Amino acid sequence: MAMSQLAEKPMPAPTPEPRVRVENLRIAFPRPDAPPLEVLSGISLDVADGEFVAVVGPSGSGKSTILRAICGLLKPAGGEVRVDGRPVSDPPPEVGFMFQKDALLPWLTVTQNIRVGAELSGMSKAEQETRIPALIRLLRLDGFEDAYPKQLSGGMRQRASLGRLLAYNPSLMLMDEPFGALDYQTKIVMGRELLRIWEAERRAIIFVTHDIEEAVALADRVVVFSARPARIVADYRVDLPRPRDLRAMRGDPAFVHLTESIWSDLALPA
Amino acid sequence: MTDTAAASSPALSSGTAGSAAWRTSAAQAALILVLLGLWEIAGRTLFNPFWSSRPSLIAERIWRLALSGELWTHCSITLQEAGAGLLLGAVVGVPLGIALARAPRVAKVVEPVVMGLYGLPRVALAPLFILWFGIGLMSKIMMAFTMVVFIFMLNVMEGIRTIDPDHLDLMRSMRAGRFYLARKVLLPAVTPWILASFRIGVGLSLIGAVVGELIGANRGLGWYVEKSGGQLDTTGVFTGLVVLMILAMLANQLIGFVERRAIRWR
Repeated sequence: MAMSQLAEKPMPAPTPEPRVRVENLRIAFPRPDAPPLEVLSGISLDVADGEFVAVVGPSGSGKSTILRAICGLLKPAGGEVRVDGRPVSDPPPEVGFMFQKDALLPWLTVTQNIRVGAELSGMSKAEQETRIPALIRLLRLDGFEDAYPKQLSGGMRQRASLGRLLAYNPSLMLMDEPFGALDYQTKIVMGRELLRIWEAERRAIIFVTHDIEEAVALADRVVVFSARPARIVADYRVDLPRPRDLRAMRGDPAFVHLTESIWSDLALPA
Repeated sequence: MTDTAAASSPALSSGTAGSAAWRTSAAQAALILVLLGLWEIAGRTLFNPFWSSRPSLIAERIWRLALSGELWTHCSITLQEAGAGLLLGAVVGVPLGIALARAPRVAKVVEPVVMGLYGLPRVALAPLFILWFGIGLMSKIMMAFTMVVFIFMLNVMEGIRTIDPDHLDLMRSMRAGRFYLARKVLLPAVTPWILASFRIGVGLSLIGAVVGELIGANRGLGWYVEKSGGQLDTTGVFTGLVVLMILAMLANQLIGFVERRAIRWR
């Protein structure tokens, strides 16, 4: 199914392998006095270059787990994960991870936190001097360069965290409910900023969320997970035009139709 | 938006926090004066000062010892012993704590031994240390060291255990090296725990040094207390104790100052 969708999309430079190939991935966590807890049971998923894929599913369904496996932070119990054709064991250099909690280092200022991403990407000092202020402006953090995380609101912390990810400059971004803890308005603003950046640079993104509307509004494709142990119950292509207007879109019949069918896939009352 | 409101509130509150801190200091000083006053009155009316001395007699004694230079000699000896023991405790305890936190299986094996030694009333080691290290500085340094080394070790272990797993995953996901991880995550995370150990360790290292001096010494504040007690000179005993208390308070202030500078991010 995934292959046929790739064929529909005209690819700028066709590669033999997609950016990410997850094949029959099984993950189980050992438990002290019980059989291992199976979280993912045989998931297969391909992500093409520049594609924005959202993963939705009930909470505890292993959405975060698949991201950790793709990033090499978790060892699979079975199956395989390949990034750019190479099997993942340690975190691959082209992958960046954004956490639900901002994971900013509390003892570093906004600038210093963003610099961590730049330093670990191997960016030269000279480039950092121009790139970091540019990111701070892009994310509207001007005036808070020297603030510590505790002095920032949730939205600003998450923007600083996004700044660190962008400074690391991964070509594949894994985002684990990055805006999940934000209030509705801030979430919309952050989604809009993420789209603005993505539409300019077209990195591949796998975006985990429990918010169906957020998934449809942002992504090219929405993958729906079942409850634990997770299988993929549906895989939708979102054919809404880009650039998207996150507000106007909510009235679009195609948008409404798609969110409705995802609601019913999750077997939740309308 | 709400962003700016949240960020400007700390600046607004610092003014009121400043005056509240000043009021607390004033109340602290007043309490001390009241207690000293009560002691002075009790020493003049209720009790014979032979048993409990009086603040005025103690102040006079401190003044006399300061003029003769004895005060400085005893203080500097005791401070050297406690200070060296405290630093040695940090130098040994911090790396041990880090090592044990990074090797949980080894930590499990050594835990009963460590807790056994930690629970031991180390004051009782003093006679042994005098025997081993003589009546000079070394036996007191070792006493102070045994009082504080476990504090550093256990605090640092706990500090490393409380590191946010997301921070470790974040560093792994960006392929950070060991040295980078230590510099950006481990050390900053344990710094508050190390400083807290120093705060607790100041008093304990003084106890270690003084106990060593009580058992066998010819100088130091503990020796002065012991000597005064032997001569039924209660003013001398209290003088030694008051000076020790003042030293501990000053050291605490110093560490508080360092703490505020080093962990501004809190």
